[in-house]
Amino acid sequence: MTAGEVQRAEEELLARARNGDREAFGDLVGRYQDTVYTLALRLVGPDLAADVAQEALLRAWRALPRFRGEAAFATWLHRITVNTAWTLRRRARRHTAEPLEGDREDGGLLPERAGELAELRAGLTRALGCLTPGQRAVVVLRDVYGWSNSEAARELGITETTAKVRLHRARRRLRVLLEGVR
Amino acid sequence: MRRLRCFLADLAPGEGPPALAAHRESCLRCQAAGARERALGRALGALRDEVVAAPPGLQMRVLARLGRQDAFDPRRALIARAAARYAAAAGLAGATLAALLAGVLRRHSRALG
Ligand SMILES: [Zn+2]
Repeated sequence: MTAGEVQRAEEELLARARNGDREAFGDLVGRYQDTVYTLALRLVGPDLAADVAQEALLRAWRALPRFRGEAAFATWLHRITVNTAWTLRRRARRHTAEPLEGDREDGGLLPERAGELAELRAGLTRALGCLTPGQRAVVVLRDVYGWSNSEAARELGITETTAKVRLHRARRRLRVLLEGVR
Repeated sequence: MRRLRCFLADLAPGEGPPALAAHRESCLRCQAAGARERALGRALGALRDEVVAAPPGLQMRVLARLGRQDAFDPRRALIARAAARYAAAAGLAGATLAALLAGVLRRHSRALG
């Protein structure tokens, strides 16, 4: 299949799913469940990621008649995933003690200096898990997914200034965690 | 003094007055920090291509729970929260303005009386 054919096949699936075709939506879920799960994993970590992915896909089904194709379907799904992650995290937070936003004090996560890119990448996922949820969400959306500050702020329901502050703190903490640099 | 400039340069990367930009260009310490920042950015960007497989059964669980499509806006809660925040801010601003006006009027009437 060429890229154009894949695109047309997806548009057809979307049109059918928008009209309530569950089988077509099942195919879309098959195509996108990994990327939705990966985003959820990076936003909320392994404990909540499967729940977030499931709920996000269910919300997408519910909202599909609203989808007009202004953004790519993947982008639309990602926005729903971010929103769902935030809602479920809020609920989960009521039941568990979670650290407050702000700087956590800690020593380096990795004892060895990780100067090289490969080593950096190896420790990144673990280091991301050490950030506060707010910092993690901003750095994941900005630096991993390439969203703008304003887009990340809008989808997280925070001001652009807060997003910038969290991004700066997140990057600095990641450097500390990965390199033991203060 | 140099430490303070390094600290300020790190606080707002790529921003600040020309003096800070000049410092960044000449300071080895800041250049090293910049290089580490860029390496971190590249490593984070590279994560975009790594996709983690969804747990087995996710697709089946989703399909088993599909309800009706009602065009519910999945971002409604977010919009409501943002609106509440703006309303609270506007309310506070309104109350402050009212208090200020009341103060001015009181002083004005005292001056007249
Ligand atoms: Zn410096």
